[in-house]
Amino acid sequence: MTADVTLEGVNHRFGDFDALRDITLSFDAGEFVVLLGPSGCGKSTLLFILGGFLEPRSGTVKIGGQDMAGVAPKDRPTTTMFQDYALFPHMSLRDNVGFGLRMKRQSKAKRNARADEMLDLVGLLDKARAKPHELSGGQRQRVALARALAVEPEVLLLDEPLGALDLNLRRQMQEELKAIQRKVGTTFIHVTHDQEEAMAIADRIVVMNAGQIEDQGRPEDVYLRPKTLFSANFMGDINRLPNTLAKASGTTAACVRPENIGLSGEIALGDATLESSAFFGTYHRCHFRIAETTYVAHLPIGALPEPGATVPLFASNPVLLEMPE
Amino acid sequence: MRALSWIYIGAIFTFIFLPVVVLVLFSFQDSRLPVPPFNGPSLKWYTQVLNDRGLMEALTNSLLVALVSAAVALLLGFFAAQGLARIRLPGSVLMRGLLIAPMTVSYLIIALGLLSMFNDLGFRPSLWTTGVGHVVINVPLCFAILFASMGDHQKNAERAARDLGAGEVQVLFLVTAPMLKPALLAAYFLSVTFSWDEFIIAFLLTRFDVTLPVEIWSMLRSGLSPATNAIGSLVFLVSIAILFLLEFTVFRKPRA
Amino acid sequence: MSIETTDKRRAFGFVAPALLWTCAFFILPFAAMILLSLAHLEGRTVVQGYDFGNYIKIFTEPSLLKGIRVSLEITLVVTVISVVLAWPLAWIIATRVPPRYQRLAIMLAVLPFWTSYVVRSYAWALVLGQNGVLMQGLIGIGILDAPIQIMATRAATVIGFVHFFVMLLTLTIYSNLIQLSPNYARAAADLGANGWNTFRLVILPLTLPGIMTGAFLTFVLCIGDYITPQILGGNNELTMPQLIMLQLGRRGDFPMASALSVVLMALVTVAYALSARWLKMERV
Repeated sequence: MTADVTLEGVNHRFGDFDALRDITLSFDAGEFVVLLGPSGCGKSTLLFILGGFLEPRSGTVKIGGQDMAGVAPKDRPTTTMFQDYALFPHMSLRDNVGFGLRMKRQSKAKRNARADEMLDLVGLLDKARAKPHELSGGQRQRVALARALAVEPEVLLLDEPLGALDLNLRRQMQEELKAIQRKVGTTFIHVTHDQEEAMAIADRIVVMNAGQIEDQGRPEDVYLRPKTLFSANFMGDINRLPNTLAKASGTTAACVRPENIGLSGEIALGDATLESSAFFGTYHRCHFRIAETTYVAHLPIGALPEPGATVPLFASNPVLLEMPE
Repeated sequence: MRALSWIYIGAIFTFIFLPVVVLVLFSFQDSRLPVPPFNGPSLKWYTQVLNDRGLMEALTNSLLVALVSAAVALLLGFFAAQGLARIRLPGSVLMRGLLIAPMTVSYLIIALGLLSMFNDLGFRPSLWTTGVGHVVINVPLCFAILFASMGDHQKNAERAARDLGAGEVQVLFLVTAPMLKPALLAAYFLSVTFSWDEFIIAFLLTRFDVTLPVEIWSMLRSGLSPATNAIGSLVFLVSIAILFLLEFTVFRKPRA
Repeated sequence: MSIETTDKRRAFGFVAPALLWTCAFFILPFAAMILLSLAHLEGRTVVQGYDFGNYIKIFTEPSLLKGIRVSLEITLVVTVISVVLAWPLAWIIATRVPPRYQRLAIMLAVLPFWTSYVVRSYAWALVLGQNGVLMQGLIGIGILDAPIQIMATRAATVIGFVHFFVMLLTLTIYSNLIQLSPNYARAAADLGANGWNTFRLVILPLTLPGIMTGAFLTFVLCIGDYITPQILGGNNELTMPQLIMLQLGRRGDFPMASALSVVLMALVTVAYALSARWLKMERV
């Protein structure tokens, strides 16, 4: 099951701390949305508001067109995957996954069958009788997913679920999450601070900072055509060109990604000295210096100049961004 | 549901504080019996109690026994915890069990055992024998608290200190002990409280010099009197004053 | 000598003093006590036999057997009542009181701990006496016409015990509750559980080990306590600690006192065996 989600003018404060300021967003049913931002930007607060664990100070939240004001978590068509998984330690995996169905008064036979189906979906059917403490972190995370999906929610909320996993496991889980989401079609709203993760799985990324939305769009759009300087900086390295070289003036700046700085291109930057470089597998990450400015460039394998050498440097595809006051 | 919670808290707190309020209130009783009606307030019982030499001696004795026996228990418990936390010795599970065992035995039985043994060995009951008994009951406490606080964080710091050339004694005094300060203080404070308040071991293992609880017990034998209220309230109020002092100086969580 | 052996020796050296003290002043006296329980008193001297005469007496003589029954009954009643009263208090403080004030609330709840144990029982004697605060209060507001006897009855002993153990259990259960991740309750609610189901199926099972530990502690402390029954309980019913002290005081019968002590320890061991399976739980 799936539904669209709209937020209008949502505000929230903790004491005198503004956690969310006038958030207005709209997600289509079946979208994989990622809320991306640094700690304290409000993404988890927003997730908890969607789940019903917090009531916003003001604003409207609608899921599937229905106003969710005053609706408790147990009555919402959402389920949440918590950061620490919150699997019930005293229940078997099967009972964990079947818990939501038990709350819907389904018979034991029916909910066990469905629980097994979900455990099979995440590849843990053979451990149905095991207890959570017998599993590894990655396995527990899968069970948490199975439990959340067993009740066929319209919206699945994920609170930094992959944070505790090591890199390879994380990449693997990202692919699995994406595959499962496509299969069940539920709207996924996923919170993370990892921009690579966001790009790997999102249909749409919402970049947040200090309780506000900085940018949103498809991964390519947010990365290649960021709307604010913060968003540009958060999605990856960014170089700023002198205003004279690009058509920038006053309050705007021309910004270029490292992969668009190299030994050929549209805009000539001048002669640059190679100060340092590091090998990153598919490219060299280089620091070039022109006068007082350092540029970060990604050069293809084989194109690395001698350390200390001076070469002409070029930039392409600059993006014009507003400078903050 | 909210209202029910507050009603419940109110009811239970009334139950919890009832005897204490009665105790303190009637310590200021002007007449002879610490029961209603309340005549007063009067400080005469406090004056009587503070001038009672027997009582004041008992109070000093209690303090002495508490401070010294707690210190001994702390040292024994600290070193035992260090020894068992550092390295996996054969039979460490057994040793841990042995060290904790006195916590599950009735103090009466511990007192009885010691009384019997000291009798056979020819040791008369005294503050020293009581102190020995108090160390027995406090070592498990100190050991348990300190053992639980010895984590990897502190072990790594010890390793770093050794790496930089510190000898074992230096590691202990310059690194381990300071890092465990909150646990050490908590264990000492709790041990002093347990010893200070302890009755049955002191009762059986003292003869002429007694501790305060034993002295109060004798007072009870002669019937109800506001004097008992006075000494009880005095001890109580001083205890919580010290508690709040410690709470706001030593035990306060740093505001990060 | 390898570094490892030096380390092991040093570590053992650290543990030794505490172990020696425990062996000398706890194990040894206890072993001696068991031996003593097999002796008997003739006149004023202890004759060391190796018979179970004292034990047979304990289980056949009505007054002694009654002591065991009384101790068990009182202790079980006190444990149950204290847990039932303390759990809601601990839960309310852990969930309904704002986090900033929780430490204060808990400290208030256990503040009377800092009255001496003897004084605390004495204070209850004041409250429950014939002309004590409770009686005069109840008569004053018209619930009673004449004072009823509570002091020197089992009820007084139970009240005195419950007062102490409600404080102790509130503290232990509270410490247990705040370690529980708030996400468990959230997850249950998220999956459709109402308050009652969340409590019954998730919170209660997860806090059971903590509760059982507290209950076991209550059992041990209560059954072995001399002071509260002696001050509040009167002379009609004697608990085991009172019986032990009686054997010591009046007749100087160390062997019988020892035998009673061993029986007391045995009861505690049985209680431990019964509750052991709840005292462990894997945390995830």
